[in-house]
Amino acid sequence: MSVIWNNCLAKLEHEIPSTDFSTWIRPLQAVETDSQLKLLAPNRFIIDHIKQHFFAIIEDAVNEFSNATLAVQFEIGSKKSPAIKAPILSKSPTQKKNQPNFLNKAFTFESFVEGKSNQLARAASVTVSDNIGKVYNPLFIYGSSGLGKTHLMHAIGNAVLLKKPDANIVYLHSEKFVQDMVKALQQNSINQFKEYYRSIDILLMDDIQFLAGKERSQEEFFHTFNNLLDNKHQVVLTCDKYPKEIDGLEDRLKSRFGWGLPVAIEPPDLETRAAILIKKAMQVGVDLDQDIAFFIAKRIPSNVRDLEGALRRVVANSQFTGRDITLEFTKEALHDLISLQDKLISIDNIQKTVAEYFKIRVADLSSKNRKQSITRPRQVAMCLARELTSHSYPEIGDAFGGRDHTTVINACKRVAELKDDDVKIAEDYKNLLRTLSH
Amino acid sequence: MQVPLQFEFQNDQTFASFFPGNNAEIVAQLQALATNGQEQQIFIWGDAGSGKSHLLQACCQQAKLVGKDPFYLAFDADNLPAPTLLEGLEDLELVCFDNIQTLADHIDWEHALFAFYNTHRQNNHKLLLAADCPPKFLGFDLPDLKTRMAWGLTLKIQPLRDDQLIEALTYKAHFLGFDIPPAVGRFLLNHYVHDLAALWLLLDKIDRATLAAQRKLTIPFLKQILADET
Repeated sequence: MSVIWNNCLAKLEHEIPSTDFSTWIRPLQAVETDSQLKLLAPNRFIIDHIKQHFFAIIEDAVNEFSNATLAVQFEIGSKKSPAIKAPILSKSPTQKKNQPNFLNKAFTFESFVEGKSNQLARAASVTVSDNIGKVYNPLFIYGSSGLGKTHLMHAIGNAVLLKKPDANIVYLHSEKFVQDMVKALQQNSINQFKEYYRSIDILLMDDIQFLAGKERSQEEFFHTFNNLLDNKHQVVLTCDKYPKEIDGLEDRLKSRFGWGLPVAIEPPDLETRAAILIKKAMQVGVDLDQDIAFFIAKRIPSNVRDLEGALRRVVANSQFTGRDITLEFTKEALHDLISLQDKLISIDNIQKTVAEYFKIRVADLSSKNRKQSITRPRQVAMCLARELTSHSYPEIGDAFGGRDHTTVINACKRVAELKDDDVKIAEDYKNLLRTLSH
Repeated sequence: MQVPLQFEFQNDQTFASFFPGNNAEIVAQLQALATNGQEQQIFIWGDAGSGKSHLLQACCQQAKLVGKDPFYLAFDADNLPAPTLLEGLEDLELVCFDNIQTLADHIDWEHALFAFYNTHRQNNHKLLLAADCPPKFLGFDLPDLKTRMAWGLTLKIQPLRDDQLIEALTYKAHFLGFDIPPAVGRFLLNHYVHDLAALWLLLDKIDRATLAAQRKLTIPFLKQILADET
């Protein structure tokens, strides 16, 4: 670190408002030579802003501490070599071997908690990792955000690497593909870009929906995709929707995405959520009691990221206070989170959402009306209230026109049966769960 | 009474100058984040004036002291810069974004933040976010961005009780190098307790006024400082 720049920082901190200092000045990295003080900034925008607003004051400070021997220069860059960069399009096998694959080693099949909601996706992923390029190509995993799609993708990559350490695997987000392509076009290196992406053995591309509306990127991806498939290389894609439902994506891509196996991940059920918590806790060295896991799982019904967030809160608070993780302690640690969750998912909110979904009046749900067009939504709403809130059967019965708790129990049983027998009901239930959880 | 706020210097935004009150855990977690803590992402939320910006800047200051590259940006709804500002930030070891609730309804910013988030996380760097509401209440259009906001440790800044407010006032004044007599403290709180952000800014102004006039702080002198403001 340049001593002169350090002195400048100490002076400037008192001359520039603190928010400006933190945003524009402190992040600069200084490289000092005999005649120059080069200040490195992350991008052009920051340099332009500094030159416009702070150049004079910086120059004065540098002159003061260097006795006017150093000229101030700005440049885009960083002293520390970045952890990863855009893939450099290499040709030699050694270089290729050293290229980062961007896989997170913690995401394996072993660390993935299987439940009814994701077992098909997991099974398909295991099969793909055992038969690269031979079955389910592309494997298309779709579902809402935060349900484990990315985990499975990394797990495929990690499983293959165990068997074939030299495999050329790349995980990336679809927006990275777009950024790389734009850079390649700017730098006249589109052929190297093509060569790089077409030489990959397993391409794992996350959140493909972000290619929507980007025609040039879609075209390039279309050719890359065809080339990889023609050469029996594996492609795994994730998306928040079924291929045909992605708006802004060319039909030929939608159709190709459906060639292999599109497989859904649904929001995890209560038991799976609890199992996820126990496993995640174990990974940070905490033996989480089953009752506590169920308590958290019941209060956080939305997605795995929220579950992880809640668990982090409990573990961090326990480490800070030195208290054991008991049910009472967990309730205290999650107090803020839970009171919010309750605000978001109340029986009132469930009734309103269900009534809107089935196009009936909210009052019908509490009425004595026994027509099937009313009783079915009522049963679904009761079942959702049981799954998503912490209210007891009698409390739920009360909220639905003062019904007995046995009516609620029967409604939950009936909906469980219907979900198995009737695809339409199962679909309705999932849709409502998704709407209420986001 | 409304005191118009001028362009203010709020220096010394360090952990030492932050009155923790009921927020000792947050301070500890953020200190760990700035140095070598386990958490990769922390999201803090609380009302205006609760000290979020102070803590974020303290985190940057601490990170710089231990040789890390920090970056701080407070979003302003009326003056959002171009999202190209995020280019290259994925290489910085600690990035702190303040007022991220203001990015709702700015879809270009949401996309830029999402792209930044994924690469920054992949680089194993640390992220500190602050908002006036918890992640679930952010009005983001991108669900993928919203779920990521809740991925790390989420902490609520607990508001100060009345007795703690007096303590905080004395603490901050003492840190700036002057004393606030209890009667003056009560006077200030009676006028500013509902606008803590304004109160802390005013404290900085009082500091300079007492220094310039070489006078102790009394209620008449305080009234004079306030009158000069308007």
